[in-house]
Amino acid sequence: MKEKIKERLRERIVKWEEKSKRRFYIQIKKEDLKEVVKILFRDFGFRFCTATGVDNIKNFEVIYHFSDDRTGILYNLRVFTDREKPSLPTITDIIKGAKWIEREIHELFGIGFEGNSDLRRLLLDESWPEGVYPLRKDYEYGRREELPDSLTCSISEGVKEGRTVIPIGPYHPLQEEPEFFELEVFGEKVIGININIGYNHRGIEKLSEGKHWDQVTFLVERICGICSTSHPFAYVLAVEDLLNLEIPERAKYIRSIIGELERIHSHLLWLGLAGHFLGYNTVWMWAWKTREVILDICEQISGNRNHYAMMKIGGVRRDILNSEVDGIKSKLNSIISALNLFKKAVEDDPVIHARTKNVGVLTKEEAINYCVVGPTARPSGISTDIRKIDIKNSAYPLIEFDVPVLNNGDVYDKIVVRVLEMYESVKIINQCLDRLKDLKEGDICEEVREIPPGEGIGRYEAPRGEVFHYVRSDGGNTPTRHKIRAPSYMNVLSNEVSAVGGTVSDAAITLAAVDPCYCCTERIQAVEFNKVKYRWDDLIKLSQEKTKKIRKRLRE
Amino acid sequence: MNKLKILTKSIWVFHFASGPCNNCDIEILDILTPRFDVERFGIKLVGSIKHADCLLITGMLTRKGVVRLKEIYEMAPKPIAVVCFGSCASSQGIFKNSYNRAVPVDEVIPVSAYIPGCPPRPEAIIDGIVKVVKKLRGEI
Ligand code: SF4
Repeated sequence: MKEKIKERLRERIVKWEEKSKRRFYIQIKKEDLKEVVKILFRDFGFRFCTATGVDNIKNFEVIYHFSDDRTGILYNLRVFTDREKPSLPTITDIIKGAKWIEREIHELFGIGFEGNSDLRRLLLDESWPEGVYPLRKDYEYGRREELPDSLTCSISEGVKEGRTVIPIGPYHPLQEEPEFFELEVFGEKVIGININIGYNHRGIEKLSEGKHWDQVTFLVERICGICSTSHPFAYVLAVEDLLNLEIPERAKYIRSIIGELERIHSHLLWLGLAGHFLGYNTVWMWAWKTREVILDICEQISGNRNHYAMMKIGGVRRDILNSEVDGIKSKLNSIISALNLFKKAVEDDPVIHARTKNVGVLTKEEAINYCVVGPTARPSGISTDIRKIDIKNSAYPLIEFDVPVLNNGDVYDKIVVRVLEMYESVKIINQCLDRLKDLKEGDICEEVREIPPGEGIGRYEAPRGEVFHYVRSDGGNTPTRHKIRAPSYMNVLSNEVSAVGGTVSDAAITLAAVDPCYCCTERIQAVEFNKVKYRWDDLIKLSQEKTKKIRKRLRE
Repeated sequence: MNKLKILTKSIWVFHFASGPCNNCDIEILDILTPRFDVERFGIKLVGSIKHADCLLITGMLTRKGVVRLKEIYEMAPKPIAVVCFGSCASSQGIFKNSYNRAVPVDEVIPVSAYIPGCPPRPEAIIDGIVKVVKKLRGEI
């Protein structure tokens, strides 16, 4: 493959670097960017992960990360642009999934993208001063901008007559992350959607530049409470990639155990919320009750119910005692009966079928085009799972497990994939625990004293899909650049196609089906000619009523 | 009679999150579910601030969030108990150097109680609720 690419790109390559066996960095001229992206994305079929902006002080650098999902190799295109008038050609006409990242780089670095007409702000608010770019190096660590006295909330304008805008969010008691959807509806039908994020933007990438390498693990843990081990996992993998370090075997197993425990409790959490949206509050309560068992195990291992602080550069922070292994196993296996119950409910219940089959479909083509990942991509026939291809310092290459893949891309398949994944996770944890017994206690960490200059990339399959961390070091105590891409960032955007065309009463479950790290989409309001019509509550009610009606009809 | 006393019967809670890591938010939902089940005491999450006796805030208050918080507080029927939940809401926590931070919650609106922890344990949350109730009753 490597040779083929070299052959195709030939004189367009300015510099070809191989940082390790799985990380290739290709420097190209910015005029060639579009051509090369087209070749990698269309002809070679690579998946676009994300793009990283870097401020080198003398110039700007943008790295486009492409993943070859068959082999797990990352091809990274590096382009430079000068500091005076930074600009690059857009790639959104080739890859739709690049829409947000270009907007983000534009607002945080001030790099323009020629040909991209939609460079509205994504994360920062309207009152943020023009021409101030927080991720540039001349923006001091810890600085903040004054807030103007009067601020208002705005809803997008220019809605055509006869159409209605339904804002969903940003705050809701049942979702955890503020995201703000505006649905444009015509009668019952959803005809457009505008997604507005940034309520939760905490500038973690900048914060990371002011923290010691070791402290960063605690910071990235707090990106998201449900994926609170996936981010540190990907981060330590990135640093270990930079160091080219192999960790002790025992640590590998412990890492995977924690990662899978998290996957189970995250999926259970989602299952509960999905049940609630469909009007099955019992499912919600049952799923969360089962989830407590997993949290107990986490507490037993790490001392905390969430935010486990287990990952460390070079290994893990705490050991699992061999004497505790059997206890953990029996607790873990006690949830299987609950899983069977959920599986049966999903398989047999005609109401669930009626509400979720052929609803919110994401086709394989769209899935590729929007570069979605994880349990949003796998129901659409994309079999990518990072655990299978690219996690060196973990137990995944050492044990056996399957990756469930389905083909319809609807909400039903998204539920089924998650339920099946939980069984796989139980299987993985059981295998890891068994192996632990054969290994010596205490050998859990490689000592790391210094981080030399260089760059590294780490990926992990979080419950919602691939998390991606890129770190760069100049040999100092802190990272000079730390790029983080969470899976929801790619997945949420796909609602542009999966929710459009459906009805309003299906919107709640469709939007929820990608499992956006929901964080509080509370205020949903439908404005019909400026009159408020629906709130998010009403939308859930609508959804629940539909379930009731179907149930009644089925009974008759 | 202390007007706040009427709030203590069955507290309805409106949950507002601004820049949390959503662990706090999950723990809030968690205490509603079977193991801890605070709904026994009539405590309930509501979807509208107009129904609420208590405003529960999580997260470090981002620039986009602070506007909404002010608006929500103005819409709230008074008296209302405002509770800062988690280290982030109480003191901006680990995010205190972020460029997207606004100001600490207690500089925007008056706060009646803080529940520290990252995230607070369910037991700590229940303890917090009890203390809020006691305070409203004028017992502490
Ligand atoms: S206090 Fe901790 S758990 Fe709560 S939102 Fe902040 S970082 Fe997350």
